[in-house]
Amino acid sequence: MTKLRYLGKRLLLSVPVVWLGTSMTWFIIFMGPVDPAARLLSQGQLRNPAAYQAAQTQLGLNQPPFQHYLDWMWNLFTFDLGQTWLLYQGSNVNALILDFLPRTLWLGFWSVLIAVFVGVPLGFYAGMRSNTASDYVASMGGIVWRAMPNFWLGIMLLALLGGSASIFWGWDWQSWLIPLDAISGSPDMSRLHTVEGFLAATKKVLPAALVLGSASMGNEMRIGRTAVLEVRNEDYIDLAEAKGVSDRALVWKHILRNALVPLVPIITSEAFLLIGGSVLVETVFGINGIGLLFYQAAIQGDLPLVGTLMYVFILMIVGINLVQDVLYTVIDPRVGMEGA
Amino acid sequence: MTGAHEPIDDGSTDDGSTADARIDADERRDATPGAASTILPTESPALVWVGLGAGLFALEAGALANFLVSILGDGLAAASLPGTDFVAGVQSATAQVPTLLSRETIPNGGYWNGSRWVGTFMGLRPGAAWALRAGLIYCYAFAVAGWAILGYRLYRREYRVANWTPRDDVIDRFRGHGWGLFGLLVVWMFVVMAVFAPALGPTTVDKNMRNSYSNEMSYWDTETDSVETILVGDANLASQSRGDTDDRVLPMQYDDFGRFHPFGTLNTGRDLFTFIAVGSRISLVIGLLSVGLSAGIAASLALIGAYYKGRVDLGMVLVSDAIMAMPQLLLLIMLTTVLAETWVGGLYSGGFLLALIFAFTGWTYMWRSLRGPALQVAERQWIDAARSFGQRPRTIMRKHMLPYITGYLLIYGSMTLGGAIIAIAGLSFLGLGVAPPTPEWGRAINLGQDYVTTGSWHISLIPGVLITLVVTGFNALGDGIRDAIDPRSDTANESAAGRGGGA
Repeated sequence: MTKLRYLGKRLLLSVPVVWLGTSMTWFIIFMGPVDPAARLLSQGQLRNPAAYQAAQTQLGLNQPPFQHYLDWMWNLFTFDLGQTWLLYQGSNVNALILDFLPRTLWLGFWSVLIAVFVGVPLGFYAGMRSNTASDYVASMGGIVWRAMPNFWLGIMLLALLGGSASIFWGWDWQSWLIPLDAISGSPDMSRLHTVEGFLAATKKVLPAALVLGSASMGNEMRIGRTAVLEVRNEDYIDLAEAKGVSDRALVWKHILRNALVPLVPIITSEAFLLIGGSVLVETVFGINGIGLLFYQAAIQGDLPLVGTLMYVFILMIVGINLVQDVLYTVIDPRVGMEGA
Repeated sequence: MTGAHEPIDDGSTDDGSTADARIDADERRDATPGAASTILPTESPALVWVGLGAGLFALEAGALANFLVSILGDGLAAASLPGTDFVAGVQSATAQVPTLLSRETIPNGGYWNGSRWVGTFMGLRPGAAWALRAGLIYCYAFAVAGWAILGYRLYRREYRVANWTPRDDVIDRFRGHGWGLFGLLVVWMFVVMAVFAPALGPTTVDKNMRNSYSNEMSYWDTETDSVETILVGDANLASQSRGDTDDRVLPMQYDDFGRFHPFGTLNTGRDLFTFIAVGSRISLVIGLLSVGLSAGIAASLALIGAYYKGRVDLGMVLVSDAIMAMPQLLLLIMLTTVLAETWVGGLYSGGFLLALIFAFTGWTYMWRSLRGPALQVAERQWIDAARSFGQRPRTIMRKHMLPYITGYLLIYGSMTLGGAIIAIAGLSFLGLGVAPPTPEWGRAINLGQDYVTTGSWHISLIPGVLITLVVTGFNALGDGIRDAIDPRSDTANESAAGRGGGA
């Protein structure tokens, strides 16, 4: 029951967070130094007062600010997101987001997966062999890997894969196992239900996911290493050893399982790094995701779309935080018990 | 009371014991006349130390004066106040003061006249002259660092009243921390590059980039076998690194005009090393400014929240959660596009605005890390004692709580600085943030993006490797400080700070 109350409290707290974040976005965009209506118009249209008036009316900027704020918030709340102005002119924003979001989610899904399945085992490996040469190599690699800028790593990876046939003695990434039409670009999300389509979409997004997950991979490796080191020094490990538990059971059952506990919340809490990083990675790899959409809307001056997308991002991050809380209560029995 | 091992803060409250301690220190010096010279073999080591410092300073006094005056001039010009002309006059006067480590003293720009190099330092090849100057600059920088360390050890052994303070242990632990020392070395070399950027590059931004068509240079024309003159801009056009062409200039090569390029040329034919050296200055200034500001915000909010608790703390949690719910990189993109055309956006090529945005979006991450330690300190008995003494809240926060979180500030500051450098580079890679003519590392990566697989691979590769190195250095320094302050702690789960919002 206490757990349910804890979760309820977290859910309740996320409401003002969404409200505050969205209000700040509204203030920056509509009360900032840039006139969103003027940004939408071309030079020629700007000299035409009628066109400017029309744009202002469409955006609702001819109303008093408070009324506009209420309207805007209500539209977002009811997911009545309107139409775009400059980018994919006149298309429905809801449809646009539904079209772009799956690619970003696909990218994020694989980057989390790669980070977990490479970073955690490497960290455990380094922790089990602490202060040996292989530990140092793995730890050093993780630290440097984490410090590399994603966009640069992406460029270098694309160069390597593009020239893979000449670098790796004839091994060509593009035609290896599943032939691709190009090494970068958007994955084809329409054929995910077929085996072939699933593999092709996965292979296409894999280099980008590797780059996007690089920072988390380094972190997870480091935390995994520390966790194993800590668990190894616990009394119950000594006890199990004294009881004559075999080495294999000791490692798999007693050390690794317990070391996993602190890692789970970390994995979700890094999701916001992934969402922020998606802009650069999608730009470098040419993936038509929601991050690239945000960036294009920002540089082309479609500020209303920028605000709407920011709202979507806020919802995503708050949602991930809630999922993390749920996982937390499932994994750690102590949560919600400290009289909170 | 836990206060028994408190460091003596200024000694003014307790005159008697301080005087005794001073006598102790004097006795230590007198009792061992030979030992007084453990560091410097003289009777008055402080005098020698000051003399050394003055000597080091004199070598670079002109450059320092010029730098300070130019900052003043920039400030006046930005605020459009009168007196800009006067300051420009002073600036040209300070430029005349001879300094050892300037391109005027050790010039590397010259030309081959058929039999020997003209205009370079002692007739050396331009590359050798440049290497000499760069080497001297780094020697000078390490001499200054050594001088500072010497001063600290002198003070600690000979002049400080107390025999031991808790901070000594922290510094001794750091001295034995190889990884942290590596970080310090990298950070120091980066800082030196930023500080000496104008003297370090083989050419200047003004001559090679901004006004390349107002500057002439001489070169040896192999076709006519004579010395010709050409505009720098035209020479740049003929040394562009675009793929596999013959014109490309790779690292450590000369172009056709006898100019040496330590890192090769950009795709525009400009010198990459000069670009990177000046870019490091911008990165460092923005990074320091933003981290300083966000550390200030984070520390004051953490202290206020920990002191008053309850609703104040809850409100801060809500605000910071709301800011963190907007991914930092996206917030940066949104704010830079919205604010780019305001007057703040024009200051320092947009760098000042970037630093401000960084500070106001990034304090939350640091605040999160400081909140725990601040709450812990607020529970201690001496806070209650100070409160019952009638001390004002502000004094309590500053004198009794702040000293306990400054260590954490240093750790997260160092890690955030690395993240800020990545994020600034990421923004300028996207074409946002620092405005185009001003060099920035991320833009060099963007410029070379199309040539990575070709013969001009160096344009993207070198800045990326340097960013990785510098960020690793800042993270290592943070690790070292953390281990020195509290060897048992581990901040791995807070390390999101070091990633600049995922750039």
